[in-house]
Amino acid sequence: MQPVPPVPPPMENMGKPDPRYEARSKVTGRARYAADEPVSNPAWAFLVTSAIAKGKVRRFLADEAKGIPGVLAIITHENAPKREKVAFFGDGGYVSTSLVPLQGPDIHHAGQIIGVVLADSYETAREAAHRLRVEYEVAEPVAGFRSPGAQTVELAAVKKSHKDVGVGDIDKGLADAAVTVDAEYFTPTQHHNPIELFSTTAVWNGDELTIYEPSQFVYSLKNCVARQLALPPEKVHVINPYVGGAFGSKGAPTQRTALVAALARQFNRPVKLVVARDQGFFITTYRAETRHRVRLGATPDGKLTAYGHEGWELTSMVDNYDVAGTENTAEMYASPNVWTKVNLVKADRNTPGFMRSPPEVPYMYALECAMDELAVALNMDPVELRRINDTMKSPINGAAYTSRSLMKCYDEAAAQFGWSRRDPRPGSMRDGEWLVGWGCATATYPTNMMPSAARVRLGGDGSARVQVAAHDVGTGAYTVIGQATAEFLGIPADKVVVELGDSRLPPGPVAGGSMTTASACSAVKVACDRIRERLGGSVPADPKALAGMFEKLKVGSLEEYAEWAPPGGEKGLAALHEGRMGGGSAERGGGTPKPAMFAFGAEFVEVRIHSRTKEIRVPRITGAFAGGRILNPRTARSQYLGGMIWGIGSALHEATEIDEKRARYVNANIAEYLIPVNADVPLVEIIMVPEVDTQVNPIGVKGIGELSNVGTAAAIANAVYHATGKRIRDLPIRPESLV
Amino acid sequence: MRPFTYEQAPDARAAVQMAAVPSDAHVRSPVQFIGGGTTLLDLMKLDVMRPATLVDITPLEKAEAGRIQQTPQGVRIGALVRMSDAAEHPLLVQQFPMVAQSLALAASQQLRTMARLGGNVLQRTRCPYFREIAYGQCNKREPGSGCAALDGHNRLHAILGVSEACIASYPGDWAQALVALDTNVEVMGPRGPRVIPFAELHKPPADTPHIETTLVPGELITAFNVPASAAARRSLYLKVRDRESYAFALASAAVGLDLDGERVRDVRIGLGGVATVPWRARKAEEALRGQVLDEAAAEKAAEAEFAAARTHGHNDFKVPVGRQTLVRALMAAKAMEV
Amino acid sequence: MGGDTKATGVSRRGFLASSASTAAVPLAAGVLGAGAASAQAPGRAPDPRAPVDMVLKVNGTDYRLPLDIRTTLLDALREHAGLTGAKKGCDQGQCGACTVHLDGQPVLSCLTLAVMAQGKAVTSIEGLEGRDGTLHPVQQAFIDNDAFQCGYCTPGQIMSAAACVEQGRAGDEAAIREFMSGNLCRCAAYPNIVAAVKQAAVVKTGRA
Ligand SMILES: Cc1cc2nc3c(=O)[nH]c(=O)nc-3n(C[C@H](O)[C@H](O)[C@H](O)COP(=O)(O)OP(=O)(O)OC[C@H]3O[C@@H](n4cnc5c(N)ncnc54)[C@H](O)[C@@H]3O)c2cc1C
Ligand code: SF4
Ligand code: FES
Ligand code: FES
Repeated sequence: MQPVPPVPPPMENMGKPDPRYEARSKVTGRARYAADEPVSNPAWAFLVTSAIAKGKVRRFLADEAKGIPGVLAIITHENAPKREKVAFFGDGGYVSTSLVPLQGPDIHHAGQIIGVVLADSYETAREAAHRLRVEYEVAEPVAGFRSPGAQTVELAAVKKSHKDVGVGDIDKGLADAAVTVDAEYFTPTQHHNPIELFSTTAVWNGDELTIYEPSQFVYSLKNCVARQLALPPEKVHVINPYVGGAFGSKGAPTQRTALVAALARQFNRPVKLVVARDQGFFITTYRAETRHRVRLGATPDGKLTAYGHEGWELTSMVDNYDVAGTENTAEMYASPNVWTKVNLVKADRNTPGFMRSPPEVPYMYALECAMDELAVALNMDPVELRRINDTMKSPINGAAYTSRSLMKCYDEAAAQFGWSRRDPRPGSMRDGEWLVGWGCATATYPTNMMPSAARVRLGGDGSARVQVAAHDVGTGAYTVIGQATAEFLGIPADKVVVELGDSRLPPGPVAGGSMTTASACSAVKVACDRIRERLGGSVPADPKALAGMFEKLKVGSLEEYAEWAPPGGEKGLAALHEGRMGGGSAERGGGTPKPAMFAFGAEFVEVRIHSRTKEIRVPRITGAFAGGRILNPRTARSQYLGGMIWGIGSALHEATEIDEKRARYVNANIAEYLIPVNADVPLVEIIMVPEVDTQVNPIGVKGIGELSNVGTAAAIANAVYHATGKRIRDLPIRPESLV
Repeated sequence: MRPFTYEQAPDARAAVQMAAVPSDAHVRSPVQFIGGGTTLLDLMKLDVMRPATLVDITPLEKAEAGRIQQTPQGVRIGALVRMSDAAEHPLLVQQFPMVAQSLALAASQQLRTMARLGGNVLQRTRCPYFREIAYGQCNKREPGSGCAALDGHNRLHAILGVSEACIASYPGDWAQALVALDTNVEVMGPRGPRVIPFAELHKPPADTPHIETTLVPGELITAFNVPASAAARRSLYLKVRDRESYAFALASAAVGLDLDGERVRDVRIGLGGVATVPWRARKAEEALRGQVLDEAAAEKAAEAEFAAARTHGHNDFKVPVGRQTLVRALMAAKAMEV
Repeated sequence: MGGDTKATGVSRRGFLASSASTAAVPLAAGVLGAGAASAQAPGRAPDPRAPVDMVLKVNGTDYRLPLDIRTTLLDALREHAGLTGAKKGCDQGQCGACTVHLDGQPVLSCLTLAVMAQGKAVTSIEGLEGRDGTLHPVQQAFIDNDAFQCGYCTPGQIMSAAACVEQGRAGDEAAIREFMSGNLCRCAAYPNIVAAVKQAAVVKTGRA
């Protein structure tokens, strides 16, 4: 099988497939990631983390560790520098968890930071951390949903801003139905596991602090650490031009940064911390496990009469993190009666957080599996069921979709995949010893935006520089922001220098919610428009003419700083400078009712399952996506591709296994926490369905980075049903699910 | 990682002299040989192994220990040969397919390039409770402390050869081929060389899971002698895993057949992923010898072998998957063209 | 476009030894660590952590570095020789981000002791580019096929890919995928990586 050419030709409403702006620095090893930053004579930090999930540190036996030559200090709650408490980002603050480490002997989750060793070398810091002995007072932890003592609370009761969405009367809708589905689904704990390790390097210069740390939101990190250390924010400088993958894990600042920075100040020496892979599972966030009950009712010809969805999400004892994906799933299909409810289950675990498509991945998994079950019950093609229930307005509030190309995606992907050749009977498409199954599902992602600023400078030689503290986490932000600047100014893209990932640049959006392009490029457009205005409407292509204009204006360059906010989101501009993302800064445009703004896709997969040994493989997968204007089809395609492969992992490989008795992650490494490897991914086909959306934002783009890993797991589960006749509702699906 | 003294051994005899220190168990021995280091350094970084001295045995690759040679009985494979070299050696690929395949399907290209065969057979379990010192209970790491896996997460743990004290699975692949083919191991010790059957190299956990082999700490493996046979020629290695590559086996089978038409003259079976040690499936072999090999016979043999299986919850599925892995491998070996 | 950062080339704790004056000396049957360390106060038990002088030949240049005996090749390159191209993604031999060549073979530098890499030719991503700045065919193919996103796994991927092509194992896609499966890519650029390896193999052999 031939892979699809990685450089798709540009089509309608698409920019040019330029190679990545920073490509050369990445293939030569010159791109400098946070931990690559050379600092002179750093003290090395190594974390000491809790062996138990609940209880207290009774005492440290530190003599052995302290006696190791090269050990500078052993920091515990008994001698840790003080930090100010900052609120949890979900409560409108900053940090990924409100639990401040080293403030007392109490243990709230396994792997909690209980100490830091500082030493002259990495090797010695690690040795001493291992040799620091700790005596605990152990209490029985609550590990998860099934643990005795797990406490369930209604989200609406603990979060004022949450309202369970719904419309009509679910009971009536179910009573009216000719066919119903009522099923429970489960998705496991997952960890982002970007290949770049979490790290922090803190360097003081007088009263100024420089932080090198992988971050999806440098303004947030800057402002958070400033508050924790009681510094004016302008004294904190975060530098991170390249991020080695993030997927949500580097969004909300963790507690480690302020701790490392405080130690660097105390010891008057740069401190470097590279968090060990296993420790990263505990000191940052993760995708919490979820449980769902989905009820669907339909008329005999497939029209939905009822959609009920109750979700349970795990969170920590100290924070209430939620994703509440029902808000989006409720808008997917035209059902007159919708009822939803979200619950939180509290456990002795670290606080979860965003992970690529946080609400959509688990909630759409449940809905899209249930839709497949409904199609089977109706004896109807699953694509047709989606067609019958497609809608151009929100079933909840009647707001119109600014654009919605779901069925176009289905039709194009189905044609490419060869869906019409599918024999719908389960187990009917065998190939020798391998059972073959085909399945499909809907992908969706809302278009989020947040305010952004940008600075653009045009030089007299026709070159330009664009600056915004946005982030390229592999999404292609450098490239598309450069291309957008070139397009808005009307100059060639190779004349543009792009600067991102530095908190001294104008504030940009968090690299989350797939909103970098829409937000940052909208601000860039304002700045470029102003520059063009100053030049009388356009930048002349002729260098002499341009030089002449600059002479007339008596300037060497033209520079514009601009701020942009989505309609109705203007109050977010102040929050932007403070680097806040909690408290609803992700806007969906103004007006009431807010327009429904989503990107859509349709995914088709083939699974093969060995009839005896039950390994499950995905030999091919096809996805069609419509996400408004595509600024660069090459980088967009890569994002779609990566997302669908994430979906394969999510369906078949990924699960953070939890020891139920000890409330500890047992496969906290990337040999046993499995993500797909190259051999798992033979053929991925991407179709970009042209879509024009003039309402969504000034540049007509929707967020696409998180679109394509939504729905994949459902498509695979549906294909597994088709292959075997077994409906597996718990992820991941592994041999034990099928024996 | 604890600090250590590093020494290079110019030859086998010197290596053994450098390593001659008393210790009850290999995992706790203060002197460790280092070949590829892919097991040893991994566990040293986790503070699970804490040797005070490393004896680098890679210089031995320049001599016999670095070669694969045909012998009158079969093949002699040096202990310092790289996994990647053995996986592609024409003699092994053609005459001992299961020996080559079990290496080709193990780990990753980089690890296969680094790792040496002596270290390969001595790789340690992936039991997470063994590999993480935060857990207080692990009889293999801390004799007498208990076994956290019994009531913990045990999806990858063994179901054959387990004891009350330990259910850790032997994670490697190659050893299944060696145990199936009646391999002999050449060992050099303080009192000179000796030869032991590969089947006697690894010890089931019983009540001393920290003693993993019959090697005296300080003894050096120098070579593996694999006898040639009809069963070695008609052989294959089947590895069932969660991913298509780069994953430890959930279950695996090294199967060799000597067929007289449809009838089994001789059969050799090594099972992996399911047992505490490289597992010679003698009960299954017995059930098959002299029988016509069809699916029913294969199923019966697999059932006989797994009758003694003991599971602990998350690994219950290894019984049906292990059985079917063996059946599938037997049928595939039968279908081989030789 | 101007997205490149400058190579640093600085080594902080060590110094660049001129290739002529310091040939890498293999330590035949030598003993390093306890006792071998310089600068020990007389009368005290020597600290086995005290730095030991090592010589590493990286990309054709000898680096003389005083290193803790426990230092891995990866940390020696990154933290001592100023060569941060090879990346640390796990430090346990699980991800492949630290892949370098040792005498032409792809190995994981995080599970290689620096002391054992002495006397061998180490090639890191920094050594692939031609002296005139021409990219290695694999590097160019990675750009052409958008074979990365965040770029963090990329140095390791490229070193594996270069070995795959060099060893003539890029014959078919399945072989490429197996050879490359020790290099995890969380951004999941896998299909593009396979396309890049194929392109580079064509460049190398001159045929498709
Ligand atoms: C991420 C990962 C995935 C892996 N996946 C697989 C897999 O799928 N299948 C598989 O089979 N393996 C797998 N492995 C294990 C790998 O194959 C072993 O680590 C390797 O074969 C060990 O060989 P080595 O030369 O590196 O041993 P070392 O690490 O050098 O040595 C291991 C042990 O053996 C001792 N030793 C070494 N040589 C001798 C000798 N000649 N005589 C006596 N004692 C000796 C050492 O002292 C040490 O205690 C994996 C490893 C990793 C890290
Ligand atoms: S199974 Fe064995 S290795 Fe694992 S915890 Fe129990 S005793 Fe330790
Ligand atoms: S850092 Fe070496 S394999 Fe991950
Ligand atoms: S490009 Fe991001 S991990 Fe591979």
